[in-house]
Amino acid sequence: MGLFERVINKSVAEFLREGIRLRVIGDSSRLPVSLQKIAREAEEATRNNSQLDLTLAISYSGRRDIVQACRSLARKVHDKVLRPEDIDESLLAAELETSPANKLPYPDLLIRTSGELRLSNFLLWQSAYSELFFTDTLWPDFGEDDYLEALVSFQSRDRRFGVRKKL
Amino acid sequence: MKSVFSLCVQMSRPSIILKFILGLLWGIIHLAISLFNLWSLLIYNIECYLISSGLLWKYRDLHLDRLKYLAIVVASKEAKNNMKIRQLLCWLSTIGVKYVCLYDIEGILKKSFEPAMNGLRDGKAGEYLDIGASVNYSHCGHKEMVIEWLSGSDGKEGIAKAANLLCSTYFSENTHGNGKREPTFTEADMASALKAVGCGGPEPDLLLMYGPARCHLGFPAWRLRYTEIMHMGPLKSMKYGAIVKALYNFSKKYQNYGKLGFQL
Repeated sequence: MGLFERVINKSVAEFLREGIRLRVIGDSSRLPVSLQKIAREAEEATRNNSQLDLTLAISYSGRRDIVQACRSLARKVHDKVLRPEDIDESLLAAELETSPANKLPYPDLLIRTSGELRLSNFLLWQSAYSELFFTDTLWPDFGEDDYLEALVSFQSRDRRFGVRKKL
Repeated sequence: MKSVFSLCVQMSRPSIILKFILGLLWGIIHLAISLFNLWSLLIYNIECYLISSGLLWKYRDLHLDRLKYLAIVVASKEAKNNMKIRQLLCWLSTIGVKYVCLYDIEGILKKSFEPAMNGLRDGKAGEYLDIGASVNYSHCGHKEMVIEWLSGSDGKEGIAKAANLLCSTYFSENTHGNGKREPTFTEADMASALKAVGCGGPEPDLLLMYGPARCHLGFPAWRLRYTEIMHMGPLKSMKYGAIVKALYNFSKKYQNYGKLGFQL
C-alpha cells in the first residue's frame, strides 16, 4: 500500500501537466486511511483533466462490483425511483463502478501480465467483449515493445462485439 | 519547352526508383512475415500430430484431477457447425473430461443440441454441480460426460434476473417491516439468487475459446473469477493434439486462488 501512496503522490504533478484524469475504483473502506486520503485528493486535483482517463482499481473485485450495483438498485427501489421488475441488464450496468455515468467505457483490450491466463476477479461483467491478451512479461518490466505486441494482436482479431440476433 | 520536359523526366526518375525500392522492401518484409507465420503453423500442426499419435511422452498421461469442470465458448457463427461440436465433445469424453459446459451468446448450441442429445437428464449431476435445467448426460467413446448448455440469457441477463429477485425480496421485506433497512446483499446472497433463477453453477477450472476473437463473449461473469482462459483458434481447424496440450498445460498450472500470503 505504501507503494500506491508514493506513486500517486509523485505522479500528481505529471497528471496535472499532461491533462490526465485519475479515478480510483474498488472497496476503499479496506484501504489504509492515508491511501484513501491521497487517492481522494489526487482525484479531486485531476477532476477537470480530459486528455487521458487513468483508472486505478485498488481492492477491486468484479463480484463485489456486481453486488454493490445490486445494493444501489435496491436503494433506488426503496426510494421508489424504480420498481424491482424494471431491473434489467442496462440498469445494472449503469450502477457498476465503471458505468457510463462515470464515463469509463468497457475495455476493448485487456492485458494480463505475468504469464497468468485468467481474469482474477477483474472486470468480470465489463470484459465480455474485451480482447484478452496474455503475456509472460511481469508487470514492472512491461514496456513499449510488449504494448505494441498487444496492439498488433488486437488489430489482427475479427471482433463482432457479440452481435446477437433476436431469437 | 523540350528542356522543361526533359528536366521533369530527370526529376521524376529518382522518385520512381525510390518508390520501386520501397515497394520491394515492403514486399520482402511481407514475405518474411508470411514465411515466419507459415513456419509457425507447420510446427504447430506437426506438434499436434505428434501429440495425437502419442509420440510425445509427456502428453500420454494426462492428470485431470484438478479439472473438475471445463467450459467451452464458441463464436456463434461457428456454433452452427454441429459436426465439429459433436467431434469436440467426443474428443473431450475420450480424454476423460467428466463435466463440460458449452456456451455461445446466441444460444445456437442450446437450441441445436439440448433436445437432440442422446441421454437422460441427470438430476444427480445437476444437483452436485449446482446447475439449473440445461444439463444432459452423454455417452461417447464408452465414457460418461455431463454437459451443460449455456447462452447469453444465462450471462448478464441471468445476473439482472438475480438482482431483480434480490431487490424484490428486499422491497417486500421493507414494505412489511419498518422500511429503513439498508440493503446488505453479499456475494453469497447473489450466488443464492443466481441459483434460484436457474443461473447457478460451478466456476469452470478451464475455459477454451473457439472463434476468431479472443473474448469470452459474455460467458456468465459470476463464474469466471479464477478460470484459466485459453484461446484455441477457429473451431473449423480444431485439433485433438491442441486440446490435449491445453489440458496438459492447465494441469501444470499453479493457482493460489486469490489467497493472500499476508494481511493488508
